[in-house]
Amino acid sequence: MTTLLPASPISVVDTLRGDRAARPLANTTSAGGLRAQLEDGIYEIMGKRNSSAPLVVRASSLRQASHTTDVSLSSLGRIRGVLINQLLRLHCVGESIDHAFDEAVEAWRAEAGASDLIGRLEQMDDDERARLATDVSAHSITLTRAFGSLASNWMPRSAVRATQRLGAGNVVLRDMVDLMIGTNSGAWASVVLLDVTTSPLGEGAERAMRYHALVETLRTSIVPLRTSAFSTATGDLWALDVDHELLSRSANEVLEVINELWMSQ
Amino acid sequence: MTTLLHRRYTNAQLNDLISTSPLEPVSLTDDHRLSLAARFRAVAGTEHRRLDAWTVEQAGRPSASFRWSPSTARRVIGNAALRRVQRQPSTSICDAVREEIDDQLLRAASGRARAGSLASWLCRLRHPALGLVSAEAINWTTQVLEIARGLSSPWEVPASDAYYDVATARTTLRGRRELVVVNDATRIIVRMRAGAPGKSSGPGLRADLTIDALANHDGVAPSRIIGLWPEAGVTLSVDGTMADLRAGARDLVRAAVVQRRARLAIAA
Repeated sequence: MTTLLPASPISVVDTLRGDRAARPLANTTSAGGLRAQLEDGIYEIMGKRNSSAPLVVRASSLRQASHTTDVSLSSLGRIRGVLINQLLRLHCVGESIDHAFDEAVEAWRAEAGASDLIGRLEQMDDDERARLATDVSAHSITLTRAFGSLASNWMPRSAVRATQRLGAGNVVLRDMVDLMIGTNSGAWASVVLLDVTTSPLGEGAERAMRYHALVETLRTSIVPLRTSAFSTATGDLWALDVDHELLSRSANEVLEVINELWMSQ
Repeated sequence: MTTLLHRRYTNAQLNDLISTSPLEPVSLTDDHRLSLAARFRAVAGTEHRRLDAWTVEQAGRPSASFRWSPSTARRVIGNAALRRVQRQPSTSICDAVREEIDDQLLRAASGRARAGSLASWLCRLRHPALGLVSAEAINWTTQVLEIARGLSSPWEVPASDAYYDVATARTTLRGRRELVVVNDATRIIVRMRAGAPGKSSGPGLRADLTIDALANHDGVAPSRIIGLWPEAGVTLSVDGTMADLRAGARDLVRAAVVQRRARLAIAA
């Protein structure tokens, strides 16, 4: 017999906020060193040559090795990911969600207008659409049950974008954090980053978590408190406290991606 | 010579830009205003012209027609919510945004919203889309408030953007601004932008600076305008010198000329 608990045993938000008293002072000194590490590494890879177009690194570049195929990056997987992201945004502003799929599509259309992915959604036949709706509903239930409630004084913001130009504009790091809570204006580290994915968590998700922390550090010059990933496929939550070692490791991973992109040119 | 400065965005750098702004503000005289009006009048046109920093950044070229979306609505709703939070500090950002959206919906429901306005667009949306509008506006307000809380000088949220109608030239100039920092006798304008700055961002800032000086009753220019691009972690700033004000005015007139030529080409 399968028993469904009325609530998830974990609350994502509570886990991310952690113990207030245990938070370290905000680290405002690591960003310069990380930037130098990246700039030196890019110079070693590219020398004085310029790329014809900037090499763009995204979290997805770190999620999977270039020789593997990730089913979550198929158009159906991407649509599901976008729709779950819309539901997360609605959840963060306290909107009640009754029909997950329809409401996610409605929110997506309001933002995106016409796009290839929306075109793909419109081309789906009834069976395909029904399968996607069921899938999105299942992921939405996992998200809603595990998420917990967000207090507005935690300053939640969703779909936060970041761009960093390195190597005299030859390399661009792009990122979008699904949910960010906490503020950089205090003396203590309090910013927490959350990546919500519809795939099971794996090594790639861990690299992406580190990448989010690295780009946020470069963007604000302040190291975030914690970086995390939540899978709506399995209900797993991974959270890592951010320190210099984690960021430096991510910088090396980014340099590996840049090297691959540069060699493939 | 331009006074454009490019810095990384940190609270310390921002406060440094504020504390090192020029102490002697420059003023525009009636002669400056008359000269500018004459130049705009020389660019004949049948329609009312509206120019802003974006027009200057696009070098007057026509851009895609404006349409409301959660991204284009966030600044208007976000800044209005920020004013609410400043008036009533106990109000949370989420509540302030919700109240602002409710006010807009009420305006549309009572028939006080004109066609094409934000209120009339919002009242056509269903609740998931309204939720996304809230999410974008909350992001905007949170970011501006975080910037403001990091400032060590007194700041205020202006009641509106700066507008200046050029006399008898059928031209309205709009200068955007998020925060005004009051530092002794001078004022510093802070603007927040999405994305990353491009090559034309400096001229855009100069245009905002010039419009703000023109909109001031006494023609007093801000001592500095600071543009913040939090997504890129970058700031640009321009001082309120006469050379920068002149350059800003020239860019606005040039944008009007290009706009006029484009309209004539379409008409032909």
